[in-house]
Amino acid sequence: MSFRLNSPPIRRLLVLISLVMIWEACAWAGWIDPFYLPAPSAIAKVMFTLFVDGEIWPHLEATFTAAIIGILGGLVIGIALGFAAALLPALAELLEPVMILLNAIPRVILAPLFVIWLGIDLGSKVALALILVVVLIFFAVYNGIKEVDHRLRERVITLGGGTGVMIREVYVPSVTAWVLGNLKIAVGFAFTGAVVGEFVASSRGLGYLLQFAQSTYNSALTIALILLIMTFVMLLFALSERLERRLLRWRYR
Amino acid sequence: MLRVKDLTLAYGAEPVLEGVDVTVDSGRFVSLIGPSGSGKTSVLRAITGLQKPSAGTISLDVPATDIGFLFQDDALLPWRTARQNVALGLRIRGLARRDAEAKAEDWLAKLGLAGLGDRYPAQLSGGQRKRVAIAQVLALEPRFLLMDEPFASLDAIVRTRITQELIGWVEREHLTVLLVTHDLEEAISLSDLIYVLSQGPRARIRATHEVDIPRPRDVLATRDHPRFPELLKKLWDELSAETSFEAVT
Repeated sequence: MSFRLNSPPIRRLLVLISLVMIWEACAWAGWIDPFYLPAPSAIAKVMFTLFVDGEIWPHLEATFTAAIIGILGGLVIGIALGFAAALLPALAELLEPVMILLNAIPRVILAPLFVIWLGIDLGSKVALALILVVVLIFFAVYNGIKEVDHRLRERVITLGGGTGVMIREVYVPSVTAWVLGNLKIAVGFAFTGAVVGEFVASSRGLGYLLQFAQSTYNSALTIALILLIMTFVMLLFALSERLERRLLRWRYR
Repeated sequence: MLRVKDLTLAYGAEPVLEGVDVTVDSGRFVSLIGPSGSGKTSVLRAITGLQKPSAGTISLDVPATDIGFLFQDDALLPWRTARQNVALGLRIRGLARRDAEAKAEDWLAKLGLAGLGDRYPAQLSGGQRKRVAIAQVLALEPRFLLMDEPFASLDAIVRTRITQELIGWVEREHLTVLLVTHDLEEAISLSDLIYVLSQGPRARIRATHEVDIPRPRDVLATRDHPRFPELLKKLWDELSAETSFEAVT
């Protein structure tokens, strides 16, 4: 890895550091009210305390558990429903309008209902993360299968291939590409579901902490939590990107 | 080898082509030429069963496994390497993966692609992809080759070279060929017999020409044969008469 000052990541980092320093200076000079916008050092201190006191761990665990179950479950259910709908027109007839409706509405409005049905524990958060991911993946798979390149299908037919070969050689890889293409969005959705679910009603999780920070007008904690969630989502993004690059290496020259 | 009788093909209400007869005898190289929209490609699709005829009969005296279809585009499975793409047909025929891939590697080498077996189609040039597509079909050792303007997308040099290679193979293996093309010179330099389709809709066979230039041929040298310009003029006039300007502009 070369270390050049004029590479884009370095430039971005330099600009970011400068902005944070200006912000810090303004806070020290008393030009900005810490009630609204605390100094970066104050936010860092809050973040540090959260980890050192160990207060953050159960909350992180709760949010991650909900998001991970949401994304894994969402992938499994979304892929299964997408495949089933693409192969069984009768099922598609029933499922497609429901999915279109669920896709059109802001799905987080279901959060209160899930709390009533499943309580304030993990269940309602998983359900919200799940429904966000399922709808996304359903459409990725369903449209992916419907839009499979007909030339590839004809190729397999003229080479003598039957349904089994068609599914293995054409449909599964084609759907994998669609799903992986949507993986990053799914990660974002899963976290949205988990955090919003906690925000609505819970006793643990980053969303719960955020809700607490907001109700006590603790802007340092609020910003610290926002930064924390951003960091984790970006880490997961990087992981999904690596997975995508690996599994879709055939796309790259 | 093949007898197409009274073939009618339609996508909507009006037939693209109607009452078409084409005969391809064993060991012959036959071309089907015609303006765009005359349904040339549809004839090949009907022969391989990709399209259902509205009327007429298609009789083949070879099993389906002896027919190879070389498409116009070079759509390979993008998620499979060149080797896996060539091995695909062999594996469908029941060969074990290892054997199929070894054989695929041989075919890639025969087509000048030795060492490129691990590349994905996106990592190959257009000419290389075309060769992979040819290897995929030839690896199944067909007796009867159907080709749909297989070289249309290639530049002149690559095209001539690949055509020459393929023709060499056809001669060595005594393959029977039905080629669909709109390239008159290609049709003359390769074929024993040329069918000329009229402008669609309701295209029909307008003329047939025997090409009495001895085989085996060299793609480039054939153009110097005295019969070449005569035939070219004849085909040109026939096709010009068919191609109405309203259809073009």
